Amino acid sequence: MSPLKITPRDAATGPVLELSGELDYANVAELHQALDGLALRPGRCLVLDMSGLEFCDSSGITALIAARSNAQTVRADVALAAVPPNILRVLRIVGLDQIFTVHPDIESATRP
Amino acid sequence: MRLERLAGMDIASRNHVTVTGNPQGPTVVLAHGFGCDQNMWRLTVPALVDDYRVVLFDHVGSGRSDASAFSEERYASLDGYARDVVEVCEALELRDAVFVGHSVSAMIGVLAAGLAPERIGALVMVAPSPRYIDDEGYRGGFSAEDIDELLASLEANYLGWSAAMAPVIMGNADRPELGDELRNSFCTTDPDMARVFARTTFLSDSRDDLKGVSVPTLVLECTQDVIAPREVGAFVHQAIPGSALVTLEATGHCPHLSAPEATNQAIVDFLASL
Amino acid sequence: MMCRADQQPDPQDADADADADRTADAAFAALLEDSAEDLYENAPCGYLSTLMDGTIAKINGTLLDWLGLEREAVVGRKRFTDLLTVGGKLYHETHFAPLLRMQSEISGIALEMKQTGGGRIPVLVSSAVKHGTTGQPLLIRTTVFDARDRRAYEEELLRRREAAEEARRQAEADRARLQEALAVLQQSLLPDTLPPVPGAQTATHYHTASPDRLGGDFYDVFALDGQRFGFFLGDVCGKGPQAAALTSLTRYTLRAAALHDPDPVSALTTLNTVLHERYAGSGDPRYCTAVYGTLEPDPATGQLAVHLAAGGHPPAIVLRADGTADFLPTPGGLLVGILPSAPFTDATTVLGPGDTLLLYTDGLTEARTGQDRAGLYGDEALLAFVTAHAGKPPHAVVQALTGLLDSFGDGLDDDTALLAIGVPASDPQTRDER
Repeated sequence: MSPLKITPRDAATGPVLELSGELDYANVAELHQALDGLALRPGRCLVLDMSGLEFCDSSGITALIAARSNAQTVRADVALAAVPPNILRVLRIVGLDQIFTVHPDIESATRP
Repeated sequence: MRLERLAGMDIASRNHVTVTGNPQGPTVVLAHGFGCDQNMWRLTVPALVDDYRVVLFDHVGSGRSDASAFSEERYASLDGYARDVVEVCEALELRDAVFVGHSVSAMIGVLAAGLAPERIGALVMVAPSPRYIDDEGYRGGFSAEDIDELLASLEANYLGWSAAMAPVIMGNADRPELGDELRNSFCTTDPDMARVFARTTFLSDSRDDLKGVSVPTLVLECTQDVIAPREVGAFVHQAIPGSALVTLEATGHCPHLSAPEATNQAIVDFLASL
Repeated sequence: MMCRADQQPDPQDADADADADRTADAAFAALLEDSAEDLYENAPCGYLSTLMDGTIAKINGTLLDWLGLEREAVVGRKRFTDLLTVGGKLYHETHFAPLLRMQSEISGIALEMKQTGGGRIPVLVSSAVKHGTTGQPLLIRTTVFDARDRRAYEEELLRRREAAEEARRQAEADRARLQEALAVLQQSLLPDTLPPVPGAQTATHYHTASPDRLGGDFYDVFALDGQRFGFFLGDVCGKGPQAAALTSLTRYTLRAAALHDPDPVSALTTLNTVLHERYAGSGDPRYCTAVYGTLEPDPATGQLAVHLAAGGHPPAIVLRADGTADFLPTPGGLLVGILPSAPFTDATTVLGPGDTLLLYTDGLTEARTGQDRAGLYGDEALLAFVTAHAGKPPHAVVQALTGLLDSFGDGLDDDTALLAIGVPASDPQTRDER
């Protein structure tokens, strides 16, 4: 199994977290930590670049939901970009494709 | 001396049975007592091999027996050891064998002969004691507290040999190559198993079993034996109908080691008389 | 002696060297005067020699001193074993003496010696047999080392070992108790038995991934009124006690909501409201996935009308008597409890004789497969697998799936719940053939 890697950067739209590897119960705390460290300002959008993500279990889903509710409390938004098909399938099952903005690639997600 | 290890038999490996001597001769089973293992008979075996088939074994928990066969419950009484002896006799299909038992094994032989009379045809009891602890009208030589002291000695020596035994203490008992290199190795036993054997041995009382012995019996006692004093030898002799008593000019509890010629002569004479 | 190669010795230096030489010579002479006799008597260890029968022939002052004995009372009068405690005597007779006879030497044996006045001194004893010119054993030479410090250390070691052993036993007992409690708690999250549904059969299976961690899958079947039955199956997020509490809340909320309004979307909406209120403000968002539905047997036709809704849950599968199977999609149903109001999608179907409705949690579809455990089992594989069992009664379908779960081995790392509801085939042929 590939370890989880989280790379933060900034885009015109707001902060970007590049996620790669496997996101599960064992390492989800790292994502929570990364999310807590972000300064999300009102009107900005946190983009989670999931192109390198190989696996996401229910703990990962919880982290996405937490990210979204945290963003909403500061009147900011969260968008998902480049979600691999197997993870998009899971997002569809749990209905999250309807409450998250899902961009096909990182360019369209970070275009101001 | 030709030692032929019986392979492929559970009982044989459980008790590390070795068979040597004259295959055509009558069978003599040599049983070691508490403390060491079948090596105790190394000075006796040469006196027997020409005319007798000699069977040696280790009690479970001693020597090179299969430690995994040890059960605290089975070996909490001498009956457990006696049943092992019977199973060894059955595995070898022995009939009318002469059972030579040292110390506690002398009593184990009495019990085994009671369990399987067809297998054991005569007994030689070397330094026997049917009860080690004093009782009313009986002097065994020890008190219950003395036996606790022995148990403490066993424990102390487990550590006393710690340089060589360190791997065992550290739980690396799976290094059998160490076993062969150990000095003092004939008498090294797992302290837990030794404790059970010691307790079973020294807390046993088999006095009532003696009168049931119906086979020809030779009792060998030593002039100076701390563990089985002469009163005890006399007691055993008197209790077993028709038994013979020979007092060996020997000091200590192991005449087969300290006075092997006299001990062997007494055994050979008895065997010849059967 | 010092040697200076770089300069000639001057007379004064020569005198100094001569002085040093004299001092060293005196010390060496003193050493030479230390007779073997004196060394034997006053060595920092005990010495004794015995005849082969143990009678003491010679003993040094050090040992006499340790034991508080007079030489006259010992030499020729006592045996070695007389100096030992009773336990030591027994040990000597059963181990020490036989080994010494067999090996001619023995070393480092721990024994205790008696002191005059009742004291005891722990010692380490080594002995060697001296043989005559023809090889016959003549006497036994024995050295005795004071082992008081060492024995105290060893006893401490033994105590520690026993304490560690005790702690290990305690920990094992605690662990067993905890597992027992967890098993009872886990049991309480699932119904013991399902009520009989007229004209239908049910079968269930629960796979626990780890006995140490309470799982969060759940299911139930229960009577709603005289005719209808409610059923549900789901999966709460996370593991452990918090997940168990969420499972409990979810089960009882669903049952109560269903009695109030059995409509599937209504029941899930009530559950969503309850969970969101309970957990949204807690900083620990918790949610579940669930399928909830109703069963309405039609005694006239023998059919079973199914009406269900799902939130965040993989779609149910319907296995038909004719050997086909397909998903019963409920797209867009959101995880239950994450938003104040959530969309849920419902679906209906009718089960005829030989048809079976299968509900499962994603432990099954998310099981890791392949040599490297890199792949996931997935819904397509599941559909193909159950299609091969279409037409079989619920218990046979669940049995086949249980075998599938077992075949995943350690690839199955999540709890998995299965619930199958079916209508018995009217023609036994159909059931047995497939």
